[in-house]
Amino acid sequence: MRVPVVVRVGVFAVLVMGSYAMFANSIPQIESKPPQELSLEGGNVTPAQLVKAGEEIFHTKGTCEICHRIGQKGTRAPDLAGIGARAAKTKPGMSAKAYILESLLQPAAYIVEGYPPIMPAVDKPPIALNRSEVWALTAFLESLGGNVDVTLNDVPATVGAGSGGAGAVAELKIPGDPKAGEAVFQGKGTCIACHKAGKIGAAQVGPDLSQIAKIQTPDYIMKKILDPKGAGTVANFPPGVMPQDFGTRLTSKEYVDLLAFLLTLK
Amino acid sequence: MPRRSCDCGNKRVFREGFPIVTFARRAVWLLVFCGVALTVLAVLPVDAQTAQNAAKEPAYRAFPVFGSRLAVWAVAQLHLNFAAFILGVPIFAVIIEAIGWRTGEARYDWLSHELVKLTFAAFSTTALLGAFLLFLFVGYYPKFWTYMTSIFFPTYWVYALLFFAETFTVYLWYYGWNWLSGSRKWIHVGLGVLSNLFGTAILVVANSWVTFMMSPAGIDESGALKGGVWAAINNYTWMPINIHRLIANIVFGGTICGAYAAFRFLGAQTQEERARYDWMGYIGNFIALSAFIVLPFAGYYLGREIYAFNQTMGITMMGGFMSWLWIIQAILIGVLFLGSNYYLWLGMERIPGSERYRKYVPPMLIILTVGFMIWATPRSMVVTLDEARAMGGTHHPLLGFFGVMSAKNTVVNLMILTTFLSFVLYRRANKIPTKSWVKTGMAIQWAAFAAAAGVVVFYGVYGYFVESIIRIGFSVYQVLAVLAAIVLVMAIDIPMFKGARTTGQIRWGTIAPHSQYVLILLAVTFTWLMGLMGFARSGIRQHWHVYGVLRDSSVDAATPALGYAANVITVVTLAFFALVLFIFWLGGLGERGAAEVHGHAAPVIAGGRDDMRA
Repeated sequence: MRVPVVVRVGVFAVLVMGSYAMFANSIPQIESKPPQELSLEGGNVTPAQLVKAGEEIFHTKGTCEICHRIGQKGTRAPDLAGIGARAAKTKPGMSAKAYILESLLQPAAYIVEGYPPIMPAVDKPPIALNRSEVWALTAFLESLGGNVDVTLNDVPATVGAGSGGAGAVAELKIPGDPKAGEAVFQGKGTCIACHKAGKIGAAQVGPDLSQIAKIQTPDYIMKKILDPKGAGTVANFPPGVMPQDFGTRLTSKEYVDLLAFLLTLK
Repeated sequence: MPRRSCDCGNKRVFREGFPIVTFARRAVWLLVFCGVALTVLAVLPVDAQTAQNAAKEPAYRAFPVFGSRLAVWAVAQLHLNFAAFILGVPIFAVIIEAIGWRTGEARYDWLSHELVKLTFAAFSTTALLGAFLLFLFVGYYPKFWTYMTSIFFPTYWVYALLFFAETFTVYLWYYGWNWLSGSRKWIHVGLGVLSNLFGTAILVVANSWVTFMMSPAGIDESGALKGGVWAAINNYTWMPINIHRLIANIVFGGTICGAYAAFRFLGAQTQEERARYDWMGYIGNFIALSAFIVLPFAGYYLGREIYAFNQTMGITMMGGFMSWLWIIQAILIGVLFLGSNYYLWLGMERIPGSERYRKYVPPMLIILTVGFMIWATPRSMVVTLDEARAMGGTHHPLLGFFGVMSAKNTVVNLMILTTFLSFVLYRRANKIPTKSWVKTGMAIQWAAFAAAAGVVVFYGVYGYFVESIIRIGFSVYQVLAVLAAIVLVMAIDIPMFKGARTTGQIRWGTIAPHSQYVLILLAVTFTWLMGLMGFARSGIRQHWHVYGVLRDSSVDAATPALGYAANVITVVTLAFFALVLFIFWLGGLGERGAAEVHGHAAPVIAGGRDDMRA
């Protein structure tokens, strides 16, 4: 039986592409995940914890390792072994932590001889470390041969502002309790009267919130609870139904708990 | 419709009446598309109130079942495949038409018409996929789309107007083939040139959006335009991508035309038909190969600009989570080099007199194979601790030596030189030069090859002993040496073989049938490679819609691993070829039973008839 040309060509094409796909699946599979936000402000953190957090940032979100090595000379950027001790002597009158912070936030201010001026400011996109992360990273770098004495107050308060870029929404870690928030949703908040949220509730008066954290930004959800009218009415739902008084009816804790619960709905 | 006939030279040519029904149907499609595009433009948020309303919209919506990212990815890749085809093919179609016009050889005019016919059939599908992609962005990524609109709104109108101009010019070019023949042929060729200019302009406008996402420029820290839109358009990667895509489109168009010819060759019923499509396949491969040789240089330029824009992005691309992608790319390009050369060597067997050059094939094969192996050697590998201990580090003690750019740049330049040599030998296979200065000419040509190879190897070895910043500059010298050799060899070759004695005509249609699968391999591999490079271009933005400006906070913010990407690319490439097959079949329906259409007699190619075989 003569196999039609279209079948022969089709099978051949599938085999070729299949072999490429098979090879691509056989090599190490590395996914690039978006970095998590670290928040240490207001918390009790020991120097050891700070250094550990900073080391993780060095290897991950900070992307420092792309150019810097510790204990090995790099062609793109200086070896950071002993930077904690060396930093205090690099610029006269400048402490180690001040020099490290300047290097991280204004890298062009001092260029180590023999290296190109290629380092980006770490608090600006695309690296975009926040204030806590810059604090932890500085502590880690100080620990490489020096004493860890950097405090959060040493890091300018403006660091990390707008680090998520225009219109960007950094991943928030709401310090609330989702379980307690679920209770608010079903109880004092009376949200369940109008909204469905996953397995909870069945009402269709308001939009289904089962995937609200997936389709909406945290700032929108926050605003919608406190100022429903100002945040606008979702299409195909009647306006003015959602109560305007959650801002005075809920306590701060209940509000934060409720938010934490809503942000779990993905 | 009534058919008229006339005699043109020794060929009987049928002229068909103007296909009003077909034209009307396509015109309706065009109007529908334009209407949709204008409606979308009209409702785009431009004033403050609309912008405020838009802010209340969700940032993302979820596409059912597949998810929004996969939907956009698949449609974008399909759209890009079709767009590359309809922009790439007319570039060489008009050149071929001009050759036919100036030389008076009917086969070139036939081929050009055949190529434009293929483009034409894919035109409306490209437009519909573009509209579909737009709807996906507006519907599923509204916040991203609003931001892009805030920057690029003026260019939308330019794009729409260019699309009008391109569409009408191509329609006129295709349907006016007979009307603008004879003394009016120059107008027809002019239309072809004009449609290419409009097509290229469309490409560069669309490139400004996609390159802005990679390397944004002309904006302040809040992401708003600082001045005019030109600064955003003229970003770091815009011009390199323009050049890279333009060349890649020609390669892509050439490979698809080659595959189309191969498909027709394999299904041909007569020797004449086989000869015709053998010739068409050769031309397709020749075009693809000619453009493919310079594509790596355009790639270097793009890579350099990515580094110039942002070192972190460049290093992430080459040495970060994407490092393995370049190994796959090397394998694909190796397949393309080997395949193209193998096709030429098989093709030489149908050329009387080519036996003289067969001795060169084994050394060329060795250079290509060794080059392929070195280019595909990874520098550092993700390994287990035991494997690292066994190797003495993440770099293999021997193979790691070949995994660096010094070695890779050297072998790719040698592979380009070898491929060029294959082409030169093919070109002169049935010719014996008769000029008095042949010996000198040949000596200079071989010296040019040797000098270029020497320069390439010298800087490749020297690169191991200098800092990376100096080493990067060496690739420019290597490229220039190869390009200079190509120009010099051809500058001698063309006059040297003018009026050469022939050893016999090429027996078109007698090439081994398995050579046609090589043409299909080239088309499939290049299409897959385009998908992979699209993933690389988009993936290096990582969790950013617009790098460093607009963050991706959707559930799809993670950039997937290569295996997942390869699966998507494979499925979409399969869908592309299925659609292409369907569209070509659809386009051919109207020609069933007619040997010639639109006044284009299928030409008789040497070897197509028994009495013509020398």
